[in-house]
Amino acid sequence: MKDSCSSILKLLEKYFDQEVTDKERFLLEGHLQDCTACQDALKSMEELRALIKVPVEKALQKEDFPWVWQNIERQIRLQEKQTWWQSIRSWLDISPLFQRKVWIPAVATAAVLLFMTTQIIFKKNSSYLDASVVEYVESETNNVMVYDLEKAKVTVIWLFEGPEEEALPS
Amino acid sequence: MKRVVPLIIFSSILFLLITSIAFGQVQTRLRVIRASNVGSNVDASLRDVHNDLGSLFSFTSYRLLRDEPLSLTPNRPVSISAREGRIIIEITLVGLHRSVAELKIRVAREGKDILNTQIRLSPGRTVLIGGPKVRDGVIIYAFSARF
Repeated sequence: MKDSCSSILKLLEKYFDQEVTDKERFLLEGHLQDCTACQDALKSMEELRALIKVPVEKALQKEDFPWVWQNIERQIRLQEKQTWWQSIRSWLDISPLFQRKVWIPAVATAAVLLFMTTQIIFKKNSSYLDASVVEYVESETNNVMVYDLEKAKVTVIWLFEGPEEEALPS
Repeated sequence: MKRVVPLIIFSSILFLLITSIAFGQVQTRLRVIRASNVGSNVDASLRDVHNDLGSLFSFTSYRLLRDEPLSLTPNRPVSISAREGRIIIEITLVGLHRSVAELKIRVAREGKDILNTQIRLSPGRTVLIGGPKVRDGVIIYAFSARF
């Protein structure tokens, strides 16, 4: 091994990993042509890589990388977990449903529909209010009279206890 | 976004309000009045209905025997006894539509039904059930809404 071999050996690992510059490559390849010791060193490295490569590749085949990646992603998500409010905001930001040009007409339409519906409901209920106050009245023992004083909003249900009774609505 | 949140909150409050009204209790008032031609007294607490009573009946005296606030829950009858248990009035809330309460009323005398009726009670409306005789007059039950 020549004196310059020590500096070349330092480069040899970088060369082996294809990390040398063009200048270093030129220098190293020139040296390798003349130096059998460095050629042997390089050859040893290549043999060592070959030895390692097979078991490593086998191990890699056995390894479930998608699962590992999913775990990593989950951990990232946990660390960056948004608050519910941020989640809603981000969803609203991406959802075309909540873009201003969509939701303003939608809200306006909903308001009109709501207005129309309430009109119908009020109309229905007013008819309900207009309905008779007494839905039914029955008595097996007495005669019954129903009298409405609509102006005063008073309804009378009067039970007559006898045919001669005259104590009733005047 | 800033406009959507108040809208959602408003809708939620409105929904809760409507459902609470729909499933809540109904406050009504039952007054038991003795009407007679003995004397000419009208209880001060009956002044709100005195004009109506006067225009409907020919009695000269109206005495308030009982003033009962009733808290009615749907389909749960409330019983009121009168005249030492001889008369029982059973009131059941059977429906509630906005501001109209549907009440089923059963009047029984000495265990025997003398009246079964179903009425719609709304705010401002008074329903009078009268007729059962007492010594010197008649009993009138006045139902009014308190909602």
